[in-house]
Amino acid sequence: MIRLEQVSKVYRSSTRPALDRVSVEVDKGEFVFLIGPSGSGKSTFLRLLLREDVPTKGNVFVHDWNVAKLPRRKVPQLRQRIGCVFQDFRLLLNKTVAQNIAFALEVIGKPAHTIRKVVPEVLELVGLEGKAHRMPHELSGGEQQRVAIARAFVNRPLLLMADEPTGNLDPDTSQDIMLLLERINRTGTTVLMATHDHSIVDSMRRRVVELNLGRVIRDESRGVYGVGR
Amino acid sequence: MRASFVFSEVATGLRRNVTMTVAMIITTAISLGLLGGGLLIVRLIDKMSEIYYDRVEVAVFLTEDVSTGDVACTQQPCVDLRRGLENTPGVESVVLETRDQAYARFKQIFETQPELVELARPQALPASFRVKLADPARFPVIEKEFTGRPGVLSVKDQGTFLERLFDLLNGVRNATFAIAVVQGLAAILLISNTIQLSAYTRRTEVGIMRLVGATRWYTQLPFLIEALVAGVIGAFAAIVAMVVAKYAFLDRILAAPIEANIIPRLTILDVVIVSPLLLLVAVGISAITGYVTLRMYVRL
Repeated sequence: MIRLEQVSKVYRSSTRPALDRVSVEVDKGEFVFLIGPSGSGKSTFLRLLLREDVPTKGNVFVHDWNVAKLPRRKVPQLRQRIGCVFQDFRLLLNKTVAQNIAFALEVIGKPAHTIRKVVPEVLELVGLEGKAHRMPHELSGGEQQRVAIARAFVNRPLLLMADEPTGNLDPDTSQDIMLLLERINRTGTTVLMATHDHSIVDSMRRRVVELNLGRVIRDESRGVYGVGR
Repeated sequence: MRASFVFSEVATGLRRNVTMTVAMIITTAISLGLLGGGLLIVRLIDKMSEIYYDRVEVAVFLTEDVSTGDVACTQQPCVDLRRGLENTPGVESVVLETRDQAYARFKQIFETQPELVELARPQALPASFRVKLADPARFPVIEKEFTGRPGVLSVKDQGTFLERLFDLLNGVRNATFAIAVVQGLAAILLISNTIQLSAYTRRTEVGIMRLVGATRWYTQLPFLIEALVAGVIGAFAAIVAMVVAKYAFLDRILAAPIEANIIPRLTILDVVIVSPLLLLVAVGISAITGYVTLRMYVRL
């Protein structure tokens, strides 16, 4: 599903590489935590997968795409198969819950009848049936993140990337969000989640890839956040 | 491509930046209006040269004694003069205009200024030969040949007066185009600025669109159409302004010279012919400006 081969990324403004000869392989349907302190290269990792950036060296593969070599006009095809969730939700505040989700389909040209069908389905999946016509500010943080997850998942991506999805949420709500991500993972979607949240990583006992100063320092199939922290 | 989606985005965009949009429309309209005005002057000049170069004549004015003493031109030196003119190569026709005819024509031309007619006496107007040349450029030959001959008061080329008139009109046209270009530059900067502002106010939407894999067209089209809509509205405003200017201003102020057939009438047809050009320019400029701006300044 994802394969990084000796990937290095050096930003022009920095002498130290953001990623340093990173090789990671993730199979289809896996659930992977990407952990490490701020500046360890987690965000760069995700940006390379989305083709927000290209690596300085090495190859990045997602599904069938050689991401770094993908022609510009094909980048949208890649992104349509990757769902993204962020710490700050990134909802459109002037649109309702349903409109926010529909927006992601409208802008890639999905027909209206498809949108009318799949939006309620995904709302049910994330447990927000009945809140379709609420505005984002009328929802709790957890509910807003559910909307964001629904939006990321509505087009049935191959890969769901979550960048600190629980960073703004209390522990109980975080647990709910994790259950939701697990449920999505069980549909066969690969989930890659960057996080700082010890308790979540420790309780889920999933694969953990730890980065530090741009290098992979640990890759365990049923890992915890870290020993002695 | 879902048209309804794109157009609702366009409407939102125009509404959100309403002040900038209005500024963009006004500047575009002024620039296009001036361009249209310049083009109308060009048409006016064309029409005028048709009317005038047809009528351009060399006038050989006759002295006082010939004007009064030999009205029918049957004696010397008048007969010789006429024959001499008729035999000059390049002369198409020679017509005698008597003092009375000259006065009648004077009265007709200044019909609308009776006080002027009142002041003038037939005695002040000399008789003349109206000489039509096959080639107006041959005037110097006639002038050299006949100036100072007995019975000749002076030789005048109406063309020199016309040239001055056309120089003036050309000057007005060039000035109009120059202002149109400056205004056009302001319009281009405003369009560019408005698109950048529009993209900034919608950065969240655009960010999400990029993220979920919207194509470049989908992300850019609303901005481009916004610029186009403003451009087209500006063009229509300019066209309406031209029509209003024609009826309320030109037709009234120039009524007298138009009646006297001195200045040709600009018809609504002239405005209709110029209008599509304005629309085309508006669409072209806003589309190109929009596209370049999105490429250069906006990351989509």
